[in-house]
Parts: sequence; C-alpha cells; structure tokens
Amino acid sequence: MSKIILNIVKKYTVMFVLVILMILFSFTSPYFLTIRNLTNIITQNTYFIIVAIGLSFVMIGGGIDLSVGYQMSLVGVATAMLMVVHQLPVWLAVTLGLLLGTILGLLNGLIVSNIKVFPLIATLATSIVFQGISYLVSRAKTFRSYPDEFLFLAKGKILGMSFDVFLTLAIAILVSIVYYETVFGFRLMALGGNEEASRLAGIGIRKMKITIYTLCGFFTAIGTMVMISKANTTNSSFGPGTEFIVLTAAIVGGISFMGGEGNIPALVAGVFILAVLGNGMQLAGWGTYAQFIVRGVILLGAVAFDEYQKMIKTRQKRPESN
Amino acid sequence: MNTEYIVEMRGICKRFGGIHALRDVDLELREGEIMGIVGDNGAGKSTLMKILSGAYLADEGEIYIEGRRTEIQNPQDAFNLGISMIYQDLALFNNLDVMKNIYVGRELTRGPFGIFLNKKSMYKKAENLIRELRVDIQSPKLNVASMSGGQRQMVACARAIAFQSKILIMDEPTAALGVTEANKLLSLIMNLKEMGLSILLITQRIPDVLAIADRVFVLKGGKRQDVLDVSKITLDDVVTMIVKGKNDNEGRKQEMEFQSYG
Repeated sequence: MSKIILNIVKKYTVMFVLVILMILFSFTSPYFLTIRNLTNIITQNTYFIIVAIGLSFVMIGGGIDLSVGYQMSLVGVATAMLMVVHQLPVWLAVTLGLLLGTILGLLNGLIVSNIKVFPLIATLATSIVFQGISYLVSRAKTFRSYPDEFLFLAKGKILGMSFDVFLTLAIAILVSIVYYETVFGFRLMALGGNEEASRLAGIGIRKMKITIYTLCGFFTAIGTMVMISKANTTNSSFGPGTEFIVLTAAIVGGISFMGGEGNIPALVAGVFILAVLGNGMQLAGWGTYAQFIVRGVILLGAVAFDEYQKMIKTRQKRPESN
Repeated sequence: MNTEYIVEMRGICKRFGGIHALRDVDLELREGEIMGIVGDNGAGKSTLMKILSGAYLADEGEIYIEGRRTEIQNPQDAFNLGISMIYQDLALFNNLDVMKNIYVGRELTRGPFGIFLNKKSMYKKAENLIRELRVDIQSPKLNVASMSGGQRQMVACARAIAFQSKILIMDEPTAALGVTEANKLLSLIMNLKEMGLSILLITQRIPDVLAIADRVFVLKGGKRQDVLDVSKITLDDVVTMIVKGKNDNEGRKQEMEFQSYG
C-alpha cells in the first residue's frame, strides 16, 4: 500500500508541489486564494505556457533553444509594425508574424543540424543576432494601440472563457496528443533518449531536429501574439527573459535536460509553480528582486534533481548480469 | 551470382582516413546457417557487418542479397532487404519500454496518413513475440533501463526479428553476459536458426562459435583468411588462424602493414 502511495507521489510530484505552494501562500495573504487572483495567475501566464510547449519539442528531442526570448522580441516588433506602421490587415500581419517566427526556428534547426554546433552555443549566438535585428528594425521605438481584432486575442471570450486561455488549452491538448498518440511524438522521445540508436533505427535525425526547432519557433510566435495583445504595446525589450522562465518551468515540470522525457500537464504545472511563487511572494510583500533569487535557486535545484534522478536510475535500477 | 547464398559480399574495401580497415573482402552466407565472424581486435569484423547493415558505406565492393545486386546506403535500406543488426552496445532506448524499443522506427499505425500509433496492436504483438522467443521478460510494458544485461540482449533480439528479418547480425552478444545468461542467449540464437533465420555472429568467444555455428569466417588485419567448417576444426585451429593468418608469412606481412598505418 505504501509503495502504491509512493508511486503516486512520485508520478505527480509537480502537481503536489503546486498544491502545497498554494496552501502555503493562502496563509501568507488573504487575497491569494481568491477567484480573481487565481484567474489572474492563469491569464497572465498563457503565453509562457505556449512558449514552454514550443520549447518542450526541442528539449524532449535532446536540444535546447536559448533564443526564444529574442525571437519573441523580433516577432513582436515586426508584427506590431506591420499592424501599426504599415496598416496591414490583422490577419495578414499575424500570418506574417507567425511565418517570421517559424523561419527563425527553422534557422536554428538548420544551424544545429547542419553545422553541428552545440545547441546551447548556436541558439545563444542566434539570440544575439535576433536582438540586434529587433532593435534595428524597431529603431528602439515603442508601438501601441493595436486594432480591436488583434486585442480579441487577449480580451475576447469564447464560451465564457478568455480567448487566450481557450487557445492555450487547445494547444496543450493538441500537443499532448502529438506526444502520446503519434509516430512523430514516439520518435521524438526516442531521439531524445538515444540519438545514435535513433539513427540506426532508420529515423531521419536531421529532418527531426529541423522540425522541432521550427515548431518551437512557430509556437513561440503564437505566444508572442498573445503577449503583445495582452500588453497592447510592444518594443524590443518585450520577450527577452522569457527563455529563462520557460526553461526553468520546463525542468521543474519534469522535462529532462538530457531529453527523452516530458509531458504537457507537468509542464503546465511547472509554469504555474513559478507563477504562484511570483504571485504569492508579491502579495506577501517580497518584491521583484527576491523573486529573481528564488527563481535562480529553483532552476539550480531542478537541474540538480534531474541529474540526481538520472544517476539513481543508472546506478540502482539495472541489476548485475547474471 | 550464386543463389545458394543468401548474402554475398564481393571485394569489400573500407578506409578510415589512413587506416585500411577492410581490403578486398569476400563473404558468403548460406540460407539458414549460423556463421561465426572471428578475428583479433581491429580485424575489421564490426566494420564489415556495419557495411552489410547500412551503418557504414563501403568504399568499394558489391553486395548481393538472395542473388540480387543491392545498394545498401543506410540502415533503412538494410531493413527493407530483411537485414537486422544487434549492435554491441545494443542501441536500446533506456527511456522507453520493451514494446517501444521493439517498434521504434517501424511503428504500426492507424488513422489518416498513418500518423497515429496503433499501441494496442504493438503491445499485443510484442507480448506474442516475447512468448514465442521464450525469453525471460514479464511484460512489454517494462522499462528497459531496469533490465539485466541478458534481458536487454533479448529485447535487442526481439527488435531485430520482429519484422520478418531473414538475416540477423549479432555483434559480440555474449560479451557482457555471465555464464547463465550467455547460455540462455546461445539457445535463443539456436531457436532463431530453427525459425529459418540466417545469422552472422561476431564474437571473441571462440567456444561460443564452436558450440552453435556451422562455419567460421576468419578476418585478420582487414583481410579474409579463410572460412572453416566447424565440424572439421578445433579451438586451436581457429585461434591459430586468428593469430597467424592462413599463411603465416603473409599474415605477418599484413600485420606489420596494418600496424604501420596506426
């Protein structure tokens, strides 16, 4: 019986941590467990969830993309300029923005798979390039007052639910199905688990890598649309820093740094753990700087825990031959 | 080409930079036989078999499968020709269960465009396969990371033969196993032979070859030495051939040449 309970606790650790945090913060502030505050936590984090889902493709496949923040910066200012400066119709500006994000992801995928640079270094380099382009294009200006159709993305409602929450839920369900029910998801887990064995199994490694970085770019662009729609303003500083939050959330949510593991519900819980921590600390009067320290410590702790689990698995689980 | 053979490799050459790993090697495998591939470290055993399995491309030479000239450019080409290889490191996925290890890259699908997995069918077939092979694995849902070396070898075997393979290549399958598990694996290999598979068995353990193989192919310094009929030789004959080559003088010359590349 105790083994069953232990297994359940192990399987749903992230969810338990989230619930425990919520209980703790409900004691530190009477406003924490109000419907309004909880709704705020959900709606303020939809774009983080979408970008984290995009990043999960890359991380499960054994890679990393540190450029998502600056992809958001570039896609954000480009889309805003198309709508505000060039007065393009919203549907066209959004389509071009999504296309730009997809191309940025494709570029990362081509660099990682063709030049065979470490993904960490490659995407760090492209993030600097994206940053430069973003500031060049925007000339460090701020763009605001988007058309109403675009603001619907963050403020509109469908079936009583905020449109961005609806969109995030749809994306989370769709990607969960991709991970667990499709050949692509199956091969993605295999690629992250053992790249050489995947090659020997006949999986097109190069094509897979290009695809996952491209998907990351596409979902990052969707997240960007939600982010700038919520803010109703954009400049080149919108986006950078997101990579740190989604990376931390992904690792807290059980997506291994080594690849081959991860699921969407835990990833979403990972985003909410960081969100609840931020919100709870704010309400408790801890301020922004203390939150940076806590987030950094959490990232370090989550990576250390990931490594520890890997070590335990290889050391204990495999009995000696014969 | 001779249709008596299921595999014929002719004039295979392979270089890695300045090292001549294989020189003009010919190999013939008969249908339904077990052929041991033996030789010292660096003799070219794994390289020759990796060429047949599509992991490496030969620089020169021809490959015939069931008498037909074929081009094997990658592991998928080899798989399509009914050739499967179990690598020394097994090439398994520790993050996946037994069924997934068997079917990865060759998934059974359902739905439009074959994009959805047919998990139910794969688990059922994996369970039947485990039962058919009479191996010591309780369920196809077990994670391979938690398995012993012998069980992992069985999973690799199941993966290799799950798709009507005709030719199975095994690279040092007993190297990391204890006596009991190695014996179990050897009986499994005999079972596979009875099921009609033609098997190429790379090994350093000569007694294993003498116990189950029909013929022994000896390589030295990247060159074919001889093919010996197991019923007519002793352990000493094989060891002598591995160490000295077919012709002692020629063997010594080749060995010196080979070392000079290193």
